[in-house]
Amino acid sequence: MKKEKLLHKLQAFFDTDNHKKRQHIKELKKILIKLKKKERKIAHSLLQAEDDCLIKQYQTELKIIRLQRMKGIEILQQLKERTKHIKSVSQVKP
Amino acid sequence: MHKALLLIVIPLLSYGFWLSDTFKGIAAGISIFLFGMLSLEQGFKAFTGGVLERILQKTTDSTWKSFGFGFVSATLMQSSGLVSVITISFLSAGLLDLVAGIGIIFGSNLGTTTGAWLIAGLGLKVNIATYAMPLLVFGVLCIFQGGKQLKGIGYILTGLGFLLLGIQYMKESFEHVGNNINLANYAMPGIKGLLIYTAIGIIVTVIMQSSHATMLLTITAVSVHQITYDNALALVIGANIGTTATAIIASVGAKIQGKRLAGSHLLINLFTGIFVLLFIKQFTIAVDIISTGLGISIKDNALKLATFHSLFNLTAIIMLLPFINQIATLIEKILLEKRSNIFQPKYLDSSAMNFPETVVESVRLESIHLYENAIHIILHTFGLHKRDLLSDSTSIKQLIAQNNDPIDYDIDANYEKRIKGIYSAIIAFISQARFSWEMEQSSQLSWLRDANQNLVEAIKDTKHLQKNWTRFRVSTNQATIDEYKKIAYQIVLHLQQIENFRHKIEENELPLLSLDALKATIEDDDMQMNRTIETLIREQKITPENGSSLINDSAYMRHIKKNLLKTAETLFIRSYTGAAKAEQQLTLNDAEIKDVIHTMDTQ
Repeated sequence: MKKEKLLHKLQAFFDTDNHKKRQHIKELKKILIKLKKKERKIAHSLLQAEDDCLIKQYQTELKIIRLQRMKGIEILQQLKERTKHIKSVSQVKP
Repeated sequence: MHKALLLIVIPLLSYGFWLSDTFKGIAAGISIFLFGMLSLEQGFKAFTGGVLERILQKTTDSTWKSFGFGFVSATLMQSSGLVSVITISFLSAGLLDLVAGIGIIFGSNLGTTTGAWLIAGLGLKVNIATYAMPLLVFGVLCIFQGGKQLKGIGYILTGLGFLLLGIQYMKESFEHVGNNINLANYAMPGIKGLLIYTAIGIIVTVIMQSSHATMLLTITAVSVHQITYDNALALVIGANIGTTATAIIASVGAKIQGKRLAGSHLLINLFTGIFVLLFIKQFTIAVDIISTGLGISIKDNALKLATFHSLFNLTAIIMLLPFINQIATLIEKILLEKRSNIFQPKYLDSSAMNFPETVVESVRLESIHLYENAIHIILHTFGLHKRDLLSDSTSIKQLIAQNNDPIDYDIDANYEKRIKGIYSAIIAFISQARFSWEMEQSSQLSWLRDANQNLVEAIKDTKHLQKNWTRFRVSTNQATIDEYKKIAYQIVLHLQQIENFRHKIEENELPLLSLDALKATIEDDDMQMNRTIETLIREQKITPENGSSLINDSAYMRHIKKNLLKTAETLFIRSYTGAAKAEQQLTLNDAEIKDVIHTMDTQ
């Protein structure tokens, strides 16, 4: 049993397609963290802004970042589900 | 002409006009002649891409056909100069190649000798200047009609009319000079006489702008024994060389191909002249033999001169026509095309072709070079310079608002100079470097090609916008002025934002996603602009006509900004990295951006 598990792990490691997917998930997570930071920064600037034009600009940027984050989270969930599905299929005994 | 040179030429000409009426007449004649050339060129351009190419292609697709075309047209028009002038127009308009043009010159050289036969044999001469007036009337009538081709015919007719009128003007101005040349007083024997009379023949023909006039003078003089037969032969040789002056003057305003044809004409006729001078004794004997064979009296010097004229031109054709391609190559080497004014690619090198990564990087760098030139054109259209992008937005707004001077910026000329050469080189380079479609570099090249296309589109939209911008920025309606200046300001501000984005790209953690904010600004500006225009029309602050122009130009502004942003996205972001690919998935599409703007607007 242990040997089989080890073999699966090795197989997954050498599977380039799977490796790419994992990398992609990592990249997406990094971007989402950066977006979150950016969102906080702009929200802070918005609180301090007094000029109407600037307020509108910050509000638009916030709205865009939120939409981008929502998109990112959605894609991330789909990717994770797909990876789980592949994992579960490959773990089923023949 | 160089502006500094113009400052010298204008006072000099003015002084000349004050001094002499003859000089004024000659200058006016040359000006009318050159204007005719321009009109003729414009006329022929109206037929490019259609009928004229087919006619010319059929009549000039071989050396002998070109020769025949030249012979027939020179015989009908009775002027080799005019045929070469028309051929220069064909060449400048790109309807002919140099080899076909030289073929026509050979034909016209022989065709024009029929004039000598007419003068000497029949005592007749077709006076081309009498056609000028009806040509001008019919020409102008055609220009005022609709239809591109009818207008083209109009320009050709007026062009021909002005050419003839110009020649007539020059002739009239030199009439008293022509009357004062009493050739009988200057008869000279031997080689000295031969050379001096050849020179006189050249000078008189250049002055009179017609070898026919010199021929008429010579044949008349020799028939009444005012000059010797030997001197008359030399005058004919000189006239044959001097007749090339018409084409040389015509080529001043023409493109390099036109200049090359005039150069070929001079080269051929000069060679012919020198050859005949070297073998003058043999030619004299041959003329006597041929004349006897034709039944011409040995004492009829006038007809013998016509025989001589035809014989030496025919000899030159037999000798030189087989080397027509070599003549074209030689003249192309002598008269090189000036390319210094046209911007050339800096980074494209064929040695990079085997290295896909290098090819992509070369094209990217060259595209940035093109981008720099494109923003130069856009900024200059609005009366600004690249350095102005370093100012803050308020200063830019003030620069545009306070500048009420006329902005005379030729986008077409600058497109030819700054864009076309580089753009064409990029396209050619990409098409040569096609890798297999599976390769990543292939798709990168495809994006770069699109980016270049977007840049060209942005310049074309700027050109469309320039028309009303130049007109309305100095209009009497303040609201219209304000809106046009707002359009200019928003485009320049957008360029500044792209430049800021470009130079701070290393600090930008999410470059691709940050561009979504700029995309939203474009849509918001467009929406606000249209709303303002509607309000201005409703409040009758601007006329509906001005309003519709503003709406169209606002659409051009939107396209310019969008195209520039798309270009920046491809050129400045290395979108093939893993991080960029992940970022790409999160960017908002057009519908999502518009949705954001509308949500913000309703809040």
